[in-house]
Amino acid sequence: MSQIGWMIGLLPDAMLNWVYWVIIAVGITGVLAGWLGKWIPFYGNYVKILQPVGIVLLVLGVWLRGGYDVEMSWRAKVAEAEARVAVAEQKSQETNTVIEQKIVEKTKIIKGKTEYITQYLDREVVKKEEIIKYIEQCPVPKEIIDIHNQAADMNKAAEGKK
Amino acid sequence: MKYALLLLAVFLTACSTPVPVSQRFPNVPNALVEKCDSLKKVEGDRVAITEMLKVVVQNYGMYYECAAKVDGWNDWYLEQKRIYESVK
Repeated sequence: MSQIGWMIGLLPDAMLNWVYWVIIAVGITGVLAGWLGKWIPFYGNYVKILQPVGIVLLVLGVWLRGGYDVEMSWRAKVAEAEARVAVAEQKSQETNTVIEQKIVEKTKIIKGKTEYITQYLDREVVKKEEIIKYIEQCPVPKEIIDIHNQAADMNKAAEGKK
Repeated sequence: MKYALLLLAVFLTACSTPVPVSQRFPNVPNALVEKCDSLKKVEGDRVAITEMLKVVVQNYGMYYECAAKVDGWNDWYLEQKRIYESVK
């Protein structure tokens, strides 16, 4: 059944539309011919065949035409949805670029500021007499350094690498 | 004939097969997927307060770099969610 649908799908839409209308027209002609045939002499024998064939063709034609309309309406919806998705993907890409630029810029500023403070420390602070005296007299105790280093490593405990 | 008309009305419903339209999962900016560096430690047993301060300053800098990435993730998620919901 799906193969038939696939083969029908290969035909151009306008051609399918015409084929369905022809089936409906033939069906209506068959029904009318069957109804009028009653009054035409010697034609009565064909009525028994024409009327059911006409009804079947009419039903089939209407069914196919209905299916065609539904299919076209779905295709229109799909095309509309695809267009919206394309716009969304474009927006998403643009948003990514903006966010990336923002992070790169922030990181650059932070790195610059860190560098500036470190250089200031080396250039200005260590030259101050009060600081020089303090550095000479008070080295940082090892215990303080160890606690600092443990604190810097506390993420390893959380990762199970204690 | 009456039954045929009734049958005709039933068949008017026809049938349809909806075609799903899928939206690709948005990419993440490269800057967001970089891991945060580990904090620096103070090296040596006898260290001047200024040397220790330098390490502390660098660690603060690393924290803010990492915080910028977390903020970036939040922005990314909220923006992508807004875009995704606008498609529905």
